[in-house]
Amino acid sequence: MHERLSLYIHRESPLHRLNPLTKLTLTFALILVAFSSPWYWTATGLIFAVVAPLSFVGKVQREYFWTALRLLAPVTGFIFVMQSFFLPGGETELFQFAFLRLTSETLAQAYLTAIRIFVMVSSFILFLLTTHPSELMGDLTRRGLPGQFAYVIVSTLQIIPQMQAKAQTIIAAQRSRGLDTEGAFLKRVGALVPLVGPLVFGSLVEVEERAIAIEARGFTSARPKTFLRELPDTPADKLIRWTLVVLVLLTFAANLWLS
Amino acid sequence: MALVTLKNVTYQYPLTETPVLKNVSLEVNEGEFVTVIGPNGAGKSTLCYAISGFIPHFFKGELSGSVKVAGVEVRDSNLSEWVANVGLAFQNPFNQISGAKYTVYEEVAFGLENLGIPREEMKNRVEETLAMTGIRHLAERSPYSLSGGQQQRVSLASILVMQPRVLVLDEPTSQLDPIGTREVFGVIREMSRRGMTVILVEHKVEWIAEFADRVVALHEGEILLEGAPGKVLTDPRLPDKHFGISRYTQAARAAAESGLWPAGRRLPVTLDEAVEGFSKSAQR
Repeated sequence: MHERLSLYIHRESPLHRLNPLTKLTLTFALILVAFSSPWYWTATGLIFAVVAPLSFVGKVQREYFWTALRLLAPVTGFIFVMQSFFLPGGETELFQFAFLRLTSETLAQAYLTAIRIFVMVSSFILFLLTTHPSELMGDLTRRGLPGQFAYVIVSTLQIIPQMQAKAQTIIAAQRSRGLDTEGAFLKRVGALVPLVGPLVFGSLVEVEERAIAIEARGFTSARPKTFLRELPDTPADKLIRWTLVVLVLLTFAANLWLS
Repeated sequence: MALVTLKNVTYQYPLTETPVLKNVSLEVNEGEFVTVIGPNGAGKSTLCYAISGFIPHFFKGELSGSVKVAGVEVRDSNLSEWVANVGLAFQNPFNQISGAKYTVYEEVAFGLENLGIPREEMKNRVEETLAMTGIRHLAERSPYSLSGGQQQRVSLASILVMQPRVLVLDEPTSQLDPIGTREVFGVIREMSRRGMTVILVEHKVEWIAEFADRVVALHEGEILLEGAPGKVLTDPRLPDKHFGISRYTQAARAAAESGLWPAGRRLPVTLDEAVEGFSKSAQR
C-alpha cells in the first residue's frame, strides 16, 4: 500500500553526511566526464574506480548493486545489443546474418554508449540512495530555489502513491457496477475512460483544498524561511565541489585539445 | 474587548448571483468557545474563510463590511500574516497534509519554517504541540500512514504550533469515526481550557452542548439565533429549517406533546439532561 517512491536509505556514512549540493555536483560531474572524456575507457573506469567504491563508502552497496542489476543491466544490455547490430558503418565484419551485421567498430561504439548511460543512471541511483528528498529540496531552497518549485517536486513524489491507491478504489467501484476491465487490449483501454473523470476532476477539487491547507500554514509568507533540518555545508564540501568543477573543465579542455 | 469582530459582512463568491453571507455581525471574546451550526448551504464554511482571511485574500468575489481580529482589519493585512494569528483547520484530514514532508514531526514544523521561526524555538514548539495533541508517539511516522483521527490531530497540531490567537475549525470531525471524533474533540477541549479562542462549525449537537460557551445558528447566510447552547439548540424553530437536532431533544419534544416532560423545564440536548428530565416526570 505505502510504496516508497524515494530510493533513500537511511544509514550513517560519510556520503550521507555530505551536503546534498556536493552530491548533486558529484553526480553531474560523473556524467559530464563520462560523456565528454576523449579516452575510451573513462566511463568504464569511473564505474569501477568511483561509483562502485562510493556505494561501499555510503554503505548502500547491496541496494546499489541490486538496483543496477535489476533496473539498469537490462536497459543498457538492450541498448548495447541494438546499437551493435544496427549502427551503420564499420569495416571489420565479425558476423552477418540477413539484415543483422556486427562489426568491431559498432561493437566498440555500442559498448561506449551503453557504459556511459550506465554511469549516468547509476550515479543518479547512488545519489538518490544517499540523499533524502527533503534535505535536497531544503538545501536548494536555502540557496535560492523558489519554495514553490521545491514543493511541487517533493509533493509529487508523495502524492503519486496516493493517486495510485485512489485509482484502485475507483476501478473497484466501477467493476462492482459491472464495468469489464479484463480481456482484449482495446477493451481494457476503453475501461480506462470511466476512471479518468473521477480521478482527474476529483484531484482538481483537492488541489484547492490543499492550497488552502498550505496557505493556512504561511506557505507564501514573505519572511525568510528557516529549516528544521540542519544541513552543514563544510569547507570540505566546498573543496570537493570546486575540485569536481575543475575536473569537469579539464575534461572539456582535453576533449577540445585532442579532437 | 472582543478579539474577533465581524460587522455587517456580506460576501458573494465570484460568478455567483446571490451573496452567501448577508449582513452578518458577530463578536467573539478572547478565550470564548463559539460554535456555529446551520443546514447545508447556510454559509458556515464561507464564514470560516471570512474570519481566517481566505476571503478576500484567496477567494476573490465581493466582500463588504468589516472583519477585524485583534483590532486589525483583514483587508489591511496579507494572508500569511493573518494565518499566523488565525488558524484554520477543515474537514478532510487527508487534504490538509502538506505533502511536502516525510514525517509527522516535519509536517508539524512546516508552518514554522514558512514563518521563519529559529530552529531551537521551532523544536521546542513542535515537541510541546505534539505532546499537547497526543501524537508524540507518531512523530517519526509518515503522515500518510495514519488513521483519519490521527491525521486530523496532525493537522490541528500543524496549526496550533503556529500559536494563533483564534482557532477556526470547519467541521473537523465530519469525516471521522466515533473514536477519531473523540480524539479530536479531546484536543479542541484541551485548547479551549488553556484559554484559546475557538470558533467551531459542527453538526454533532451533543458534543457542542457539552463545551460551547455560545451557539450561533446560521441560516441562508444570516444569523438566525445566538445564545447559550441549551437555549439555541432546543429552539422550536430549528427543526423546520433543517438544522441538526439532538435525538434527546426530539424525544423530549415528542414526550412534551403528550405531557410526559416536566412542564416549564428546558428541553434536553444531552443524554444526562434527558435522563434527569425524564426521571423527574416519572417521579410524579
